[in-house]
Amino acid sequence: MLELRGFGCGYGLVQAVEGLDLVVRGGEITALLGPNGAGKTSTIMAIAGHVETHAGTIEFLGEDITRLAPAERTRRGIALAPEGRRIFPDLTVAENLLVGGYTHAAAEAARAEESVLTLFPRLRERLRQHAGSLSGGEQQMLAIGRALMARPKLLMVDELSLGLMPAMVDLCFKALLELKRQGIGVLLVEQNTKRALAAADRVVVLVSGRTAYAADGEQARRDPDMVESFLGLKEMT
Amino acid sequence: MYYVELLLVGLIWGCTYAMMALGLTLVYGLLRILHVAQATVFTLGAYIGLLAANHTGSLAAAFVTGALAAGALGPLIYRLVYQPILDRPPFVALVASIGVLVAMEDGFRLLFGPYGLSFENNVWFTTTYSFAGMTVNLVQVWMVVAAVLLLSAFAVFATRTRAGVAWRATVSDPAMAESFGISVTGVRYVNFLIASVLAGVAGVLVGLLNNLVEPGMGGVIAYKGLAIIVLGGLGSVPGTLAASLVLGVVESYGTVFLDKLLDRDAIAFLFLIVVLMIRPHGLLGAR
Ligand SMILES: Nc1ncnc2c1ncn2[C@@H]1O[C@H](COP(=O)(O)OP(=O)(O)O)[C@@H](O)[C@H]1O
Ligand SMILES: [Mg+2]
Repeated sequence: MLELRGFGCGYGLVQAVEGLDLVVRGGEITALLGPNGAGKTSTIMAIAGHVETHAGTIEFLGEDITRLAPAERTRRGIALAPEGRRIFPDLTVAENLLVGGYTHAAAEAARAEESVLTLFPRLRERLRQHAGSLSGGEQQMLAIGRALMARPKLLMVDELSLGLMPAMVDLCFKALLELKRQGIGVLLVEQNTKRALAAADRVVVLVSGRTAYAADGEQARRDPDMVESFLGLKEMT
Repeated sequence: MYYVELLLVGLIWGCTYAMMALGLTLVYGLLRILHVAQATVFTLGAYIGLLAANHTGSLAAAFVTGALAAGALGPLIYRLVYQPILDRPPFVALVASIGVLVAMEDGFRLLFGPYGLSFENNVWFTTTYSFAGMTVNLVQVWMVVAAVLLLSAFAVFATRTRAGVAWRATVSDPAMAESFGISVTGVRYVNFLIASVLAGVAGVLVGLLNNLVEPGMGGVIAYKGLAIIVLGGLGSVPGTLAASLVLGVVESYGTVFLDKLLDRDAIAFLFLIVVLMIRPHGLLGAR
């Protein structure tokens, strides 16, 4: 459903990523791995429309979306749980979800909210609480839940487990597998290689903005040391 | 009893400051602009209200027309002055804002004359109530009632409506809010509309209380509004409301105890300096 071809992105004259080919299919998880500064966040933010795409194309559901505004991409079914989560801390959990489903009519938003709260029952207990007062894990659930309120076909999660308690990481991964079962495509950026490899249907490793390794999940699971060796690499220029 | 009366008068002024300062806080919170030109919106509201009152004989008409005129001018200033320079550093907008204030003040002088105008039949000013040895007039009563009503309406808007939630989300993270389909431009217009209607109503009230509307009447209250939003911790709505009331009361007592040294308007800034020395993040600010 999502396909990047010869994709490059960056900030003004700074080129962050070059020559990337990447595919996410419905009902599959593509893991985008790489050391710090490799360009994972830049790639995700460019797919969401927040970072400028310099080269290549982004195709979603067979249409070229390279030049569309972020909101239009959301409408077409691309949702984002960004790095640092960026929930609205002064809004309640319910209000954060309302914003996530802003493009939908009330009835549709209510259905979306119900399925989010079924996926993350902890959020149901905290609906009236300010989002800023949630634990890290709950904030991540809220970031994913807010993204799901738009009823996306593709969910992108940047640094799913960063700073979370292990029990919370379990819950979040379980949720991703459930979404995958529902046919949603997932693009996952994750520091915890073992977890990412275990869940992934495809693996792409970025180093210094270039593809260092790409394989399907089966194959990547067979040579985890190979993947690890790339992650050990420091940023090169 | 005298001290209670001073307290009461201070709180009444505090309510009016709150109507003025809330708008400044809203604009600052969304755009990081110190919207000094809000003073012009306040003055326009007062002039249009006065003209309407003198023309129709109705004070209700004064408030409706004053609020409408102000509500049109604020978003217009956003569109024509701030929007083209949003990507510049904030002081550029501040300078532009001061420019608008100065130009409009001269505009008022040219249109309506330099000496100011009075209400022909200011019944609210002459209607007074006495209780427990104190006297207030109907304008002062309305200053409190209008502030409570409008600020409550604002609270309902911000917390109970979709548009209000969208507005708060935009204040917190504009790029994220926009990506969910919220129109950030729409939010900005609503923001200026709310700020300006509050300022327009405050302008009519102050005009009635002084029974005088003159070209420079907005300047002092706008600069006080800036002092208030700094005291309130820049961008904080509860801080702004608290600081408005506190400043009203401090001025009220200050005019009695410091009147040999300082005039009323200087007290606001002395107070600002003292508070910032003790609490650099404002009255309710962190630490
Ligand atoms: N806002 C920005 N402006 C300029 N360069 C940036 C910006 N954000 C990230 N970069 C640069 O882009 C490169 C990729 O960063 P990023 O995408 O955040 O990597 P990752 O998410 O893989 O850690 C880095 O060299 C980083 O310094
Ligand atoms: Mg990153």
